[in-house]
Amino acid sequence: MYFLQAGDNNFGVSSVLILGTLGMFVMAITLISVLVFHQRRVIRFNKQIQKMEEERQQMLLRASIRFQEEERQRIAADLHDDAGPLLATARLYLNENLIHQEPASQLQSIFSAKQIIDDTIQLIRNISHSLMPPTLKNFGLEAAVKDQFDKINGSGAINASARFHDNRQRLNDEQELLVFRVIQELVTNIIKHSSAGFIHLTQNAQGNIVYFRIHHDGKGILQDQFDKLEYDSAGLGLKNIQSRIRVLKGKIFFEIDNTQTYYKVTIEVPRILSK
Amino acid sequence: MQSIGSAYVIQLFALFTIVEYSFLCYFFYIAFANKPTIKKAIPYIWVAFFILALVDYFFINQFKKFDSFSVGLESIIIIIMAITYLFLQIKTVNNLLIYSTFKFWVAVTFLINFSGTFFLYLMTESMYQDPEFQKLYFIINLSFNILKNILLSVAMCMKTNNIAKTTSLPPDFLDKDYIFNRPTN
Repeated sequence: MYFLQAGDNNFGVSSVLILGTLGMFVMAITLISVLVFHQRRVIRFNKQIQKMEEERQQMLLRASIRFQEEERQRIAADLHDDAGPLLATARLYLNENLIHQEPASQLQSIFSAKQIIDDTIQLIRNISHSLMPPTLKNFGLEAAVKDQFDKINGSGAINASARFHDNRQRLNDEQELLVFRVIQELVTNIIKHSSAGFIHLTQNAQGNIVYFRIHHDGKGILQDQFDKLEYDSAGLGLKNIQSRIRVLKGKIFFEIDNTQTYYKVTIEVPRILSK
Repeated sequence: MQSIGSAYVIQLFALFTIVEYSFLCYFFYIAFANKPTIKKAIPYIWVAFFILALVDYFFINQFKKFDSFSVGLESIIIIIMAITYLFLQIKTVNNLLIYSTFKFWVAVTFLINFSGTFFLYLMTESMYQDPEFQKLYFIINLSFNILKNILLSVAMCMKTNNIAKTTSLPPDFLDKDYIFNRPTN
């Protein structure tokens, strides 16, 4: 208490007391105000992040639905434009068979109808294969990727090759399908947009992680562009890639090599062993 | 104000300080439910304060003067506890506004009250006979008392609102489907 008594002589009791009380009061009020405003700002920021995340999820969901719709439309168009007319023609031949009773013309129309039905079967098989590649189902990812790359090579426009270094322990079926779809989408994008002369896929594994890397010499995209496109309303294919990678609990990286010659896309997938 | 000097009033002040401090410690003991370290420390702080206050009352002050030392110590401890509580509240990540809980208002009430009256009570022991000080004592003490009561009322309203919210939950009868409970003849 000594300093307070000493202060009495210089400033007077009331000055010390009023200043001290006001000072403490103002400090307490300032502290409370700062805390309240800071918390409000943090809450606003959190809500904003939450809203952005919700919007992104919405966008991915919408992209996924749109992709499904486009796939359905494609199948519907294939069936309507190709299988429909073929079956209608086969029906016409069979109708003619009922009208013309001559065995020679009957034989001719039955033969034509058979040809058309064979074409239709082939068409339906193609549609079915595009939905679920039989090679993937029967022989696994390596065979399916190599098969796909052989088909691309067959076109002669681009040189595609794939090498699997460590595929003794395969991913489970669901993971293989998802990885295959991602690779398919990436390769389609490279063929469509990059004007690449070659594509090479390398697979390897380290510990529990399986890596897939696609190299190509065309014009590619980098990680920041990929991240931007994810928030863009365009880029449906990239959104599907992102959704699938998320389901796989994996990662995807878009890079360019040090010599600025080749673009690289790397996919990391944690391995869940197939049962 | 002259009555502050009488032994009877001083004893009452001493008792009030200890009781008030004990209640506030209990409040913060409940408020720090999620912080076990601080929660465990509060009883030790209470005991330490109690011993120091008794030493002050019986050996130093001997109930002859206003207990500025005990009140000052109490103020510092409660201010620290209130600030710690408020900081921990804003560190907790949830979207609940800090001022929508009654605990916030109680902490704020005592933070403001003890901050505002800290100098007043510190000076009372040595200055209570000064007429100018006596005037200020009443003004400051009463002002902060009124403010304390207003803020505590707000805290109580918060509590009432919370209770009201709990009771406005869907009533039980919604779980009891009439079809399964209708009387059979």
